Amino acid sequence: MGRTTPPPELLPGTLDLLVLRVLSLGPMHGYGIAQRLKQVSDDVLQVGESSLYPALQRLRLNGWVNAEWGASENNRRARYYTLTAAGRKQLVSEREEFDRMAGAIQKVLRMA
Amino acid sequence: MLLAWRRFVFWCRRAELERELKEELELHASLARNGKEMGNITLAKEESRDMWGFRSLEHLLQDARYAIRVLIKNPAFSAVAILSLALGIAGNTAIFSIVNALLIRPLPFQDPSRLVRITNLHPQALFEYFQQRSKTMDIASVSPGFEINLTGQGPAMRVTASATSANLFSLLGASVEKGRVFSRDEDRPGNDGVVILSHELWREKFHQDPDILGRTITLGGMNRRIVGIAPASFAFPSNKVQLWFPIRIDSRVVTQYWAGAFVPLVARLRPGVALAQAQAEIHSLAANVWKLFPWPMPKRFNADSTLISLQTDLAGETRSKLFILLSAVGVVLVIACANVASLLLARATTRRKEIAMRAALGAGSARIVRQLLTESVVLALTAGICGVLLGATALSLFRSVVPPDIPGVAQIAVDWRVAVFAAALSILTGLAFGVVPALSAGNLNLVDAMKTGSQRSTTDSWIALRTWLIVGEVALTLVLVVGAGLLMKSLYGLTNVNPGFNSQKILTVKISPNQSFCVQREACVAFYNRLLEESRGLSGVMEAAVANTVPLDGQLPQIATEVEDHPRTPDFPAPMLWAGAVTPGYLRLMQIPLVTGRAFTAADGSNAPPVILISTSTAKRFWPNTNPLGKHIRRAGETSWRTIVGVVADVRQFNLANNSPTSIAGAMYMPYAQAVDTNGQIPVGMNLLVKTTANADQAATDIRRVAIGANPDIPVGKASALTQIVGDSISGFRSTIWIFLSFAVAALVLAAIGLYGLMSYSVSQRTYEISVRMATGATGLNILRMILAQSLRTALLGMVVGLAASLALTRFLSGMLFDVTPTDARVLVGVCLFLLAVAVAATSVPAWRAARINPIRTLRAE
Repeated sequence: MGRTTPPPELLPGTLDLLVLRVLSLGPMHGYGIAQRLKQVSDDVLQVGESSLYPALQRLRLNGWVNAEWGASENNRRARYYTLTAAGRKQLVSEREEFDRMAGAIQKVLRMA
Repeated sequence: MLLAWRRFVFWCRRAELERELKEELELHASLARNGKEMGNITLAKEESRDMWGFRSLEHLLQDARYAIRVLIKNPAFSAVAILSLALGIAGNTAIFSIVNALLIRPLPFQDPSRLVRITNLHPQALFEYFQQRSKTMDIASVSPGFEINLTGQGPAMRVTASATSANLFSLLGASVEKGRVFSRDEDRPGNDGVVILSHELWREKFHQDPDILGRTITLGGMNRRIVGIAPASFAFPSNKVQLWFPIRIDSRVVTQYWAGAFVPLVARLRPGVALAQAQAEIHSLAANVWKLFPWPMPKRFNADSTLISLQTDLAGETRSKLFILLSAVGVVLVIACANVASLLLARATTRRKEIAMRAALGAGSARIVRQLLTESVVLALTAGICGVLLGATALSLFRSVVPPDIPGVAQIAVDWRVAVFAAALSILTGLAFGVVPALSAGNLNLVDAMKTGSQRSTTDSWIALRTWLIVGEVALTLVLVVGAGLLMKSLYGLTNVNPGFNSQKILTVKISPNQSFCVQREACVAFYNRLLEESRGLSGVMEAAVANTVPLDGQLPQIATEVEDHPRTPDFPAPMLWAGAVTPGYLRLMQIPLVTGRAFTAADGSNAPPVILISTSTAKRFWPNTNPLGKHIRRAGETSWRTIVGVVADVRQFNLANNSPTSIAGAMYMPYAQAVDTNGQIPVGMNLLVKTTANADQAATDIRRVAIGANPDIPVGKASALTQIVGDSISGFRSTIWIFLSFAVAALVLAAIGLYGLMSYSVSQRTYEISVRMATGATGLNILRMILAQSLRTALLGMVVGLAASLALTRFLSGMLFDVTPTDARVLVGVCLFLLAVAVAATSVPAWRAARINPIRTLRAE
């Protein structure tokens, strides 16, 4: 019973990385995270709630984010996710790993 | 690890998390309303839930819940399957618990696997001989419990003692709770005035007096100092023993040394010695012991002595009874498993459609297997729980097979290992027969399975397997029922056997002065005569007599004799005779008929010429062609002969099956006043028998008052009705038979259910075919006959196999049979007819149903 993997819309493991990265900017609720991903990626990354919320649960379970209830923009109760210290560490290491992988893939693609 | 813990925490909070997620998703939906439409909310929930817990655990719970629902929805199937298994598990749990306590669990002694018993009974001289010669074993002598008077401590009482060699406790590695064990030389004359009390006696008689050690008690007139208290757990050689004292080994007292008491010997193998070595040694030592005696002994006396494990020895005859019951109950479990297998097979094939449907809807085969496995396990576990509960109840009934004085009987408790074993066996059955057919059907061809899921799918090869299962069940059942039949016939024979006396209205009380009280035998005779006179004066008492034993009470007074016309030869030395010592009224009181000659009279006193009576079979044995009256018999070693003055009918002295054990050649009676042994001593532990119309309690109180009035120092035993003693003599046998019978009934019920299930299933599967037959002219009677014939073919096949097996197996029962051979034709035929009737009864409902099928409706429905 290890970590479960996200649905394969993105490169495996990247959703967690992206969510961690978005949360590194500050606390945010689920919908906000999805919106931010969409905006920043120029509508390329449209993360559905069927991937996002499981991912958030997974991050919570691993202790990388905390969840707290607060008020949303329209004054409804919303759950805000905050990066924990462990999450920050995880972000750094996952990012390095991603860079390494991406670089490797690029190298292969660009080979003459 | 940490992750697993967090998962657990999440799992515990999953209801709360679920609510929160719902709220979160609703918010998301409301915020997204203007943007893109929502995705799959359910999927989001399910995926999230996976994060909160143990998915497989949840699936397991889900499967279990589903399994329970399925079981509840099929109450008939569930009830039959669970009941079958529960019966099997219960019986096995109960019997194996007893087997475990008596035969498997190590004896509560140090290194018990090295303890053995030297078979046969040996006098002190042989104990010393073996002990001195053996290089492989340390040997101890221990007498079985015998009764003795405990006086000088309040009212006189009768206690059960065991006389042991001084090394018994240290040889067993048994410690004492207080004080010490016997020391090395305490079985030598002059040192033997010591005694160790059982914890129970210390508690009951001495109120756990902490200063008991060093106190002196009087046992059978001899003073003994209490040196130790045995722990409550120490029960050896039987539960009845309340105290132990040393034997007195004195080789100068020749008769005592060589023939005083023949007792069992126990031994401990020395370190590094293999059992085979010790066996070889004891065989060579024992081969010639008969030559050592200072007088001629039967040729090769005790030469067949060998070693058996002490545990086997202690269990005694119970061992073979337990093996018989264990086999019987094992058979019941096999039948139960076959039944459940057959039921599951039927269900698995009818569930093919359901399984195909689930597979079509996307269930992975692993998931389906798991579901089916879970169902089997839930079934087996439910049955297991019911079985263990039932088994615990049964155990309290089954206990009665075991004589209460066998050590270890108190430790009988439900044995969890066997309960688990039986449950595991039933789970395996469930797996083998519930999962495999269902899967093989489900995996093969979904479309076909769903299409032919209707009742027309008759061609399943599994039905052949089911038929064979039922054949096997019938065969095994037949074996058990034949066994039960033979045992019941034996029990019937035993309870109706003429014991040779009339036990009605007779009450018996043991009244036993010390030997010292009877040194002057006139004193003793006078004491008993006074008792008789006063007893006859009691209200309701019609007759009274005194005798050294009561038939069937387990006592076996035997003496070595010389018989006129039968001179001693090395091959036929002094025959052992059962020796009764009775007052003149005894024969009349017991209604033992006098065949010829005369009975005893008051004139046959101490100084009159010695006379005896012998039993019919004794007369036939020694004087087959001559008149025994006037012939003579005497004790071995006696100078004057005793004259036979009468022959009386045989009495079942020893047990209801036999007059006496084979080692005893016959029976004789002596007038009490003349029943002296070669030392001039008269038997002291006599039974007062009264025939009374008064109620037993009143009579017992009266007798006790009279006896204590006659001499307060003489202990008065418990009064028992002779009918009770007769009943008790076969109570162990009776309960063994009832338990065996209950197993046979269980097997019969299971097999009947199995046959019924098979035929019902077959009829339901053949509905279409039967309808076609009826549409083409078959009558209901034809159909009825067809189904009955199918069922009877199965049953008959099973019975043929079962008969063959019975002929091979029932001989193992022969030790328990009375007046019936293991292949008694009437029992075999009767059982077969009975089973046939049961088979017809079990088939009648499905056959009736088949005959009433409405062909038009069935064919239209197709």
